[in-house]
Amino acid sequence: MSASGRVLAELAHRQRPIRLLGASGQLGYGIPARSFGAGLERRPDLIGCDMGSIDIGPTYLGKGEMATSPEATRRDLRRVLRAARDLDVPLVIGSAGSAGAAPHLDATLDLLREIGRTDGRRFRMATMRADIPRGALLDAIGSGHVTSFDGMPDLTREEVTEAANIVGQMGMGPFRRALAADVDVIVAGRACDTAIFASLPALLGFPIGLAMHMAKIIECGSLCCVPGGRDPILATLDADGFVLESMNPDRRATPTSVAAHSLYEQSDPFTMHEPDGTLDLTHAHYEAVDDRRTRVSGAAWRDTTSPTLKLEGARKIGERAVLLCGSADPRFIAQCKDLLPKVAEVVRDLVCEDLPMDYTLRFRVYGIDGVRMVAPDDEPSPGEVFIMAECIAPTRERASEVVRSCKQFLLHHGYPGRLSTAGNVAFPFTPPEVSLGPAYRFNIYHLLRVDDPDALFPVEIEDV
Amino acid sequence: MKLSDIAQVIRTKNAGPRRLTLDIMFGSDADYRRVAQSPALGAANIGRLYRVPAEQVTIIPYPVGRAIKIVMARAMMAGDPGDVDVYGAQQHAPLLGIEI
Repeated sequence: MSASGRVLAELAHRQRPIRLLGASGQLGYGIPARSFGAGLERRPDLIGCDMGSIDIGPTYLGKGEMATSPEATRRDLRRVLRAARDLDVPLVIGSAGSAGAAPHLDATLDLLREIGRTDGRRFRMATMRADIPRGALLDAIGSGHVTSFDGMPDLTREEVTEAANIVGQMGMGPFRRALAADVDVIVAGRACDTAIFASLPALLGFPIGLAMHMAKIIECGSLCCVPGGRDPILATLDADGFVLESMNPDRRATPTSVAAHSLYEQSDPFTMHEPDGTLDLTHAHYEAVDDRRTRVSGAAWRDTTSPTLKLEGARKIGERAVLLCGSADPRFIAQCKDLLPKVAEVVRDLVCEDLPMDYTLRFRVYGIDGVRMVAPDDEPSPGEVFIMAECIAPTRERASEVVRSCKQFLLHHGYPGRLSTAGNVAFPFTPPEVSLGPAYRFNIYHLLRVDDPDALFPVEIEDV
Repeated sequence: MKLSDIAQVIRTKNAGPRRLTLDIMFGSDADYRRVAQSPALGAANIGRLYRVPAEQVTIIPYPVGRAIKIVMARAMMAGDPGDVDVYGAQQHAPLLGIEI
């Protein structure tokens, strides 16, 4: 019998609270060893890790690469795999490889197989892909099953064709099937964070609202504590509520800090829509157990009548190159918002002499308005600025050509009152033009109505 | 009194790639109530500070967390060319000097 079978049998037989360890939000950046060890001493029934997000921007999804370094990712995976195997409890990983599409999932699975080989570990692993087949999505557009939200333009067939990777966020169904299939390790592509932790309790008959609320908090580790941090966190769930405790003794889960976690990265702290239903926290109640543990109750759940999946997709928009430089000339700085468009025009006249205007060139002036979406016009001029010129062009060579021309003409651009006629900018190193590789944008962020969401996410099992 | 003098937390972050959420959190119920009632934290003033129409600003009081949540659409989707803050984590400066 494998880990999930054993835990399911034990907890079905003996009615007791279930213990879940939120080992890491965004697996692959390091797991604090001491607090993780403290978590294992509490003998959790499941170790779970969220490994991805849409919050990190479109490049990882588009390019098929992880945000985390291979070494740190391997180290984290080895740590959680070893722990789960030693305790013989299920290890559940969701949104594998930062973005949860096939390349990310496959890279994660390869790391786990490699760890199995080098550590001499054998285990049964369930895998659920999250990639949505293009044909199925095009059909769904045709039958009116794809809708926009948050002001996204309607999804076109062209965007589906051009997307490099397309995933749907799976809910609890695939995880429940994987757990019921009796496995040691579950690795899912793009998935709702909640499904990682709520699926086992749901399978055992715990109230889904409580399980979902608990899952939403512990998938972020000890961020719900004060001071907040990435240490593992233990949730103990019973039929009426759950207790939260950080595995770092210096972090305290207080009623206010836990309640405040519902604000984090959410547009509504009271109502959260999941593929399987809606979580209602209007009557959630937070009570101190002691000065560092809090008991939470009161979450309600409504099953959906119309299952809906959130789709994510990214497409390549070109190749990106940047120019990095700074200025400490007050007259240049005072005029730079007028000067830089003029430099862009000069560059265009040069590089478009026998080619079309096939690129974009943007300047960001850090010290003035490089960071703020809304910056006041009337701030005193800073003594220094950092300027980043960014070109997105069809090819690496074209983007590089544009920023190199930009560098030369920015350096020597004449303007009224200029004193520093030897050069307008400072380069931190040379070459100051850096090619950054392909640029992407999210082109799919839509809802897909499905009759049978489970059919999109089959469970595959292998013995490692 | 400025908001940065009374609030314990003033932060922004994306809520999904198309929305920006601002959270303001307080150390006491009294501080929370004082600011929650102030028109300075209303949709009109926030809309003015962030150059967004007031109708597109949602203010959500959250007393159990001693917090006020404000939500608005991002001018551009996270990571789109020209985006200045992919995570949306550094857009809170306009809130700091709000007079309560």
